[in-house]
Amino acid sequence: MYQSESVIRNHYNNINDWLDQMTSKVILEKNAEAETHFRNIGITFSTNNETARERIIPFDLIPRIFTYTEWLRLERGVIQRAKALNAFLADIYNQGEIIKASIIPKEIIYKKKSFEPSMFGFSPPRDIYSPIIGIDLVRTSPNDYFVLEDNCRTPSGVSYMLENREIMMRMFPDLFHNNRVTPIDDYPTRLLQTLMSLAPIKCENPEPVCVLLTPGPLNSAYYEHSFLSDQMGIEMVESTDLFVEGKYLYMKTVDGPKRVDVVYRRIDDDFLDPLCFNPQSVIGIPGIMDVYRTGGVNICSAPGAGIADDKAIYIYVPEMIKFYLGEQPILDNVETWNCEKEQELKYVLDNINELVVKEVDGSGGYGMLIGPKSSKSSIDEFKTKLSTNPKGYIAQPLLDLSFSPTLIKNQVEGRRVDLRPFCLIGEQAQLSSGGLTRVAMNEGSFVVNSSQGGGVKDTWVLAE
Amino acid sequence: MLSRTAEYLYWISRYMERAETTARLLDVGYRMSLFPNPSGYNNEWESVLSAAGAIEGYKNKYNTIEQKNVEDYLFFDESNPSSVYNCILNARNNALVVRTSFTPESWLAVNKTYQEMLNLKEKKFTKSDLPDLTEWTIEQVNLFRGSLSSLLRNDGYNFLFLGLFIERADNSARLLDVKYFVLLPKPQYIGGNIDNMQWSILLRSLSSFRAFRWAYDGNITATKIADFLVLNNNCPRSLSFCIQNIVKHLTNLTCSPEKVGRIYNNLKDLNTKIQEEKIETIVEYGLHQFVTQFIRKISSVDNEIHKEFFN
Repeated sequence: MYQSESVIRNHYNNINDWLDQMTSKVILEKNAEAETHFRNIGITFSTNNETARERIIPFDLIPRIFTYTEWLRLERGVIQRAKALNAFLADIYNQGEIIKASIIPKEIIYKKKSFEPSMFGFSPPRDIYSPIIGIDLVRTSPNDYFVLEDNCRTPSGVSYMLENREIMMRMFPDLFHNNRVTPIDDYPTRLLQTLMSLAPIKCENPEPVCVLLTPGPLNSAYYEHSFLSDQMGIEMVESTDLFVEGKYLYMKTVDGPKRVDVVYRRIDDDFLDPLCFNPQSVIGIPGIMDVYRTGGVNICSAPGAGIADDKAIYIYVPEMIKFYLGEQPILDNVETWNCEKEQELKYVLDNINELVVKEVDGSGGYGMLIGPKSSKSSIDEFKTKLSTNPKGYIAQPLLDLSFSPTLIKNQVEGRRVDLRPFCLIGEQAQLSSGGLTRVAMNEGSFVVNSSQGGGVKDTWVLAE
Repeated sequence: MLSRTAEYLYWISRYMERAETTARLLDVGYRMSLFPNPSGYNNEWESVLSAAGAIEGYKNKYNTIEQKNVEDYLFFDESNPSSVYNCILNARNNALVVRTSFTPESWLAVNKTYQEMLNLKEKKFTKSDLPDLTEWTIEQVNLFRGSLSSLLRNDGYNFLFLGLFIERADNSARLLDVKYFVLLPKPQYIGGNIDNMQWSILLRSLSSFRAFRWAYDGNITATKIADFLVLNNNCPRSLSFCIQNIVKHLTNLTCSPEKVGRIYNNLKDLNTKIQEEKIETIVEYGLHQFVTQFIRKISSVDNEIHKEFFN
């Protein structure tokens, strides 16, 4: 919000005035109102401890604001990246040109667990493997955005983006009268259009039947699953609701079997088809992969799409953009050391006090080391881990994430934020006019994950 | 509609209905506990427990029947599958799964109820709070029912109401079964205070105390009450009203006419009988036998609905 010490950036002026006129009492009331609202609509996440009440993610009342021009650049950059990632998937599951061109070593790809050999030689509708991509961005100075990671499988968080806006509009209608905030509530419609535009070849229905496949109520993103299917007006199914007969996929309805054309799956590859992936799995639809390969159904995202967001592949995304699109990357990667390479490992071990070390397969802010903020013992622990299993880790510099004004005990204080906008690719590629801003609520913290005390904010993109 | 969705909708309204019944029974018990205990009658809390179908579970947990424990068992106890708490918890967990087939208001009604229930559960209650708890429960259930009025009149709607009336038919019948002796002519008690009191328990527990007064002129008699609760089509908790509505929502289903047909055939006789029967004949035949048969029939219809639609 601040340009430099205490100079407020122009587009935050309205918000600053608004904050000035709110008394502590009002802020307390509004905070309580937001919490009640989130509980009532059920936007909670379950914890492993069954007796504990479901938790809600802390919501900060001060929106994060992007100007139209700021956003334009992000939009172009994210769409560019999402296109390149899909082109990469189409390539490695077919000709493998990028390997032949020696841009990415083939071991990195073929040895990954997230690479799915059974996808080889198969092309999904429109060659789109990953129609919904969430790109995690951080900002380090007014014009420097970096991509922290890509999420090509089943990125979550979009329900927070939508609900954060709902609650803000409900609590502070005047803010929206006085600021020209681009609406985001058409996201579910666009998502549905995207899914429908990816109908399989054997679908004759002009309006393809889409379903959302959820692992069930115990999944931490279950709220989002039900929210999205509700907003799209499609059935939310569990794998027991689906079955394969002949060369098609059906859901069990009170009228009897009904054919399904597109499955927006929110379960992992391993649990899709016990015949193909994990024979031990009790969830899953036996035979669905066969139907998929013969064009009877489309599965979004495609099995094996996860290879594209692997942390070891991440390093090569700028190269992919040049290779497939012939363009210069609009958004930069964070400098990353691949510990698999001897020289880079050495650098990491020598400079570990300054670096952030992450597990290649880790997520949720777990299993990472923030060098500058860690004790000697945990640093030593990581050194051992790195030496014994170097290919399990990457390292990055500790980025000075931008601060966003955040209400802490009724005082405005700066807290670090990141941003996840959502990109849809079907018949056309488009970016949500906003995204999920996550905020590290603890003073001095760099970790924005909700499992580690992170909160969320409404994210505004101002209209032109 | 997904079979599972239909099943969950059906059970949501069954649970909400059951929550109300249990709360009303508690209210009856509470009311009775304020009157002097008439000699020769059992502890009222025991019949409340029987009517709620919870007597066995209660006795496994407690040695003596005491108001405090009965209240806790019927309202908050997590080990009692029919406690108001569990009904609301189950309804809410089902609603979470099928909120896509609901209006947002219906989901809110159920989820808010659940959230408030968690708050209630954390507080400590005293005897005199019971009326507030029952009042709260009835309000919440009404909020839920009200929210249903804006639903599309599709199969989901009909499954919701099938669940509601199957549950209500069962609850009303079981209550009658526990209390049927009150409606049998016993010369020594006729016209006595005890009868009046027992009758009023029955009517209150079926939320029909004042309705009865409006529906029947003259003296209160056992026959009139039996007629009201079994055969009167204007009484929304009578057995005949429930059956009528089960038939209505069943035949309104647009899915699978042959399945609907099979279930209807099983139900048809009971419906005809209950619409044409005279209360005197039923009392003569044996109210207890009649009600027992009725309960069995409802349970078999419930089984068929599960078999035909939810599998």
